[in-house]
Amino acid sequence: MIEVDHLTKRYGNTVAVDDLTFRVTPGRITGFLGPNGAGKTTTLKAILALIRPTSGATRVLGKHYSELDDPVRKVGAVLETSRYHPGRSGRNHLRVLAAQAGVPRERIEEVLELVAMKGAAKRRVGGYSMGMRQRLGLAAALLGEPELLILDEPANGLDPAGIRWLRDLLRSLAQQGRTILVSSHVLAEVEQIADEVVIIHRGNFVTQSTTAELAARAAAGVRVRSPQAERLRELLSTNGMSVVVMDDGALGVVDGTPERVGELAAANQIVLHELAAEKATLEEAFLELTAGETTE
Amino acid sequence: MRLLHAELLKLRTAPRTAIGLLLAMLGLAVLGSGSTASSADESPFAIEASVSDILDVASLAVIFSLILGILVVTWEYRHGTITSTFLATSRRERVIGTKLVIGVIAGALLAVLSVVASLSVASFWIEIELERGHWELIGRIVLGTAAWAVLGVGVGALLQSQVGAIVASLVWFLVAEPLLGLPLDEVADYLPGAALDRLMGVDTMEAEGAGAPSVEHAYGLGVAALLTGAYAAGFAVLGVVSAVRRDVP
Repeated sequence: MIEVDHLTKRYGNTVAVDDLTFRVTPGRITGFLGPNGAGKTTTLKAILALIRPTSGATRVLGKHYSELDDPVRKVGAVLETSRYHPGRSGRNHLRVLAAQAGVPRERIEEVLELVAMKGAAKRRVGGYSMGMRQRLGLAAALLGEPELLILDEPANGLDPAGIRWLRDLLRSLAQQGRTILVSSHVLAEVEQIADEVVIIHRGNFVTQSTTAELAARAAAGVRVRSPQAERLRELLSTNGMSVVVMDDGALGVVDGTPERVGELAAANQIVLHELAAEKATLEEAFLELTAGETTE
Repeated sequence: MRLLHAELLKLRTAPRTAIGLLLAMLGLAVLGSGSTASSADESPFAIEASVSDILDVASLAVIFSLILGILVVTWEYRHGTITSTFLATSRRERVIGTKLVIGVIAGALLAVLSVVASLSVASFWIEIELERGHWELIGRIVLGTAAWAVLGVGVGALLQSQVGAIVASLVWFLVAEPLLGLPLDEVADYLPGAALDRLMGVDTMEAEGAGAPSVEHAYGLGVAALLTGAYAAGFAVLGVVSAVRRDVP
């Protein structure tokens, strides 16, 4: 669906993207993650033929973007750099694009409805908030009902309600069988909707895995609280688990499962006040993967 | 056709700059021809020549046409709409090509409007009777103005910066070229501004009409038209190549 092969882009002495290779699977939502300046936008621009790679190649739907016959009907994109003429109304911006792509005018009203922008459509874009611009960008991307969506930081500028709305919209678009590549520097924005994530850092490929795998990779653990903490601790240690005492007196069991801890406690008649699986969040895994050299 | 429709929509839906430019041109044409016409009829000899004087005033449309050509490209870069334009039509030469067509149409239209406005205003003071030579001059003005819109589109696509392109071309045509002409007398006649002056020059008409050549020219009108066309085409090609090859900011 999207293929990036050994993509390298240099700007003078700066290497924005360095020998990056990955594939985006059809019919899924893929999160494209990395801290600011990791090269996400550069990669997306190369995929969309807006910039020429220094070396390497990109393909969408099997072709270079510039060879697509009717790009608006195949790929919808929202880039951070997609801006608007401030004197034009939101609807007129869409009319220009619809005319260029040969999309019927009725479709404009449909996409305006879809992004909840009907009310603001006749106002000049110059007066739009950041969130409204993002919605207008999404409306433009959806004009041609493309099977592939490429969204660069679509949650930027959206308030929490807007982010939730975006999540629901992307989910429903994915359910219609569309492929979505959505970039973000905030993992929390995509972890609930992405099936898969591609993580890059400083222009380099870090990892690609399903969201579930990524979460599992982070160290898991069990939190347990007991009035007989000392006895429980000895018990768990003798059973080969490493135990740490936390600030609030609870025990953290690094390599155990709640089932195992609970069964051991019951067999030894130890009272438990709390027993919970500590889920390491994706955020922690993400930070761990991209940590270290972020200080500029 | 789709692209042309989209380009026309762009002009229609963000009209402030375009209308401002049109009004400025018409205002200047009206003022210029009004003052020329009202002063001309005081001298007994001038009446015959003043129709071409008025047309000379009308030929200022060329500057506006140049700026319009520049704007048609550079406002897309300035406002960032070039990204969505190139995403929707990834063959960039088609986008710039359409803008060149728009340039030709809009430039010719500006010239016609300028001529009509100038002559209408002048008709309050002088009698307008268009002879064959006048019609030819009008034709040359329309041609030159359309060519310079094309040149503007090319310069705009080449430089991408709106202010940069406008300043650079005005400095070239108003300052640099006349200055260069002093030491480089031989070449100066063949520079773009000089070629345009030759093409749209009033004195040629007088010379042919009244049989009293006033200035010696390095070449004829046909060559002037060819040169102007060649400059316009040259910048158009440079602009297209630049737009196709360069990264979108």
